[in-house]
Amino acid sequence: MKEFKINDENKITSGFTTPEGYFENFTIDLQNNESHQKTDRKVISINTKRWLTSVAAVLIVAISVTIYTKLVIEKTEDSIEMENYISNHSDLSQYDLITLLDEKDIENLSVEMNFNSTETEEEYENTNEIENYITE
Amino acid sequence: MEEKDFILQLLNPKTQNSAFQKLLSDYKRPLYNIIRNIVLDHDDANDVLQNTFIKVFQNLNNFKGDSKLYSWIYRIATNEAITFINKKAKISGATSGELKSRIVENLEADTHFDGNEIQIKLQKAILTLPEKQQLVFKMRYFEEIKYEEMSTILGTSVGALKASYHLAVKKIENFMNKD
Repeated sequence: MKEFKINDENKITSGFTTPEGYFENFTIDLQNNESHQKTDRKVISINTKRWLTSVAAVLIVAISVTIYTKLVIEKTEDSIEMENYISNHSDLSQYDLITLLDEKDIENLSVEMNFNSTETEEEYENTNEIENYITE
Repeated sequence: MEEKDFILQLLNPKTQNSAFQKLLSDYKRPLYNIIRNIVLDHDDANDVLQNTFIKVFQNLNNFKGDSKLYSWIYRIATNEAITFINKKAKISGATSGELKSRIVENLEADTHFDGNEIQIKLQKAILTLPEKQQLVFKMRYFEEIKYEEMSTILGTSVGALKASYHLAVKKIENFMNKD
């Protein structure tokens, strides 16, 4: 076989071919490509981004406040409900309460129930059902 | 016509279409050839050629005229072709070298290749070169692009291109003459 030299007269071609009429029929529809480009790429300006961020921040604050308020109301409703339940359904007797309360609690209760002795006497005098009170 | 006037025609909506048709007819063959030599497959070369012209059209406003329109368009074409083959290789889980080897191995079955044994061997010889040398060799040997023009397309000095081509030729001759 003859030695291969790159600068030989018989140059080797790449051997690549194209389908018949390829170059004659090669066109590019610029109009379609232009419109395609417009629909494909949405440019969001920095100002729009800032505006969106502000709206998002306001929304987050609004939602947080609503949720917080709702939770607080529910909590209050819960405590009232609990109180009602205890007073209506509880099996706790007075003795139970006395054993559960410590000295400090009893002291607090006595402060709250600090009646004026004269007022009490007057009340007794004006009430016919004093017997009931005494037996209670 | 002066190049500046031609660019103005391409940018003017009234003359744009006819100017672009001229650009297409002037460049489609040489660009196809250079792209085909890089991506090797006809359908891929067609896709890259389409993308190249679309990019040229979309970026005409950014063309500063620092280099010639010719160099600028060729640069877009080579970049598009190299990006394409790298992406294709990545998708198939191979390197671009492995992908090209696979294509060259199947060249005989390619309906758009009518080369003989020597031409296939030359393609195989080219694959043994580093990427940049492959490009320089193809541009110089197949497309006969002058070193000065190649220098503006690839952004490499004429001296470096000549050295690169010289090295490529040595390796290819060795490959072709063994066996």
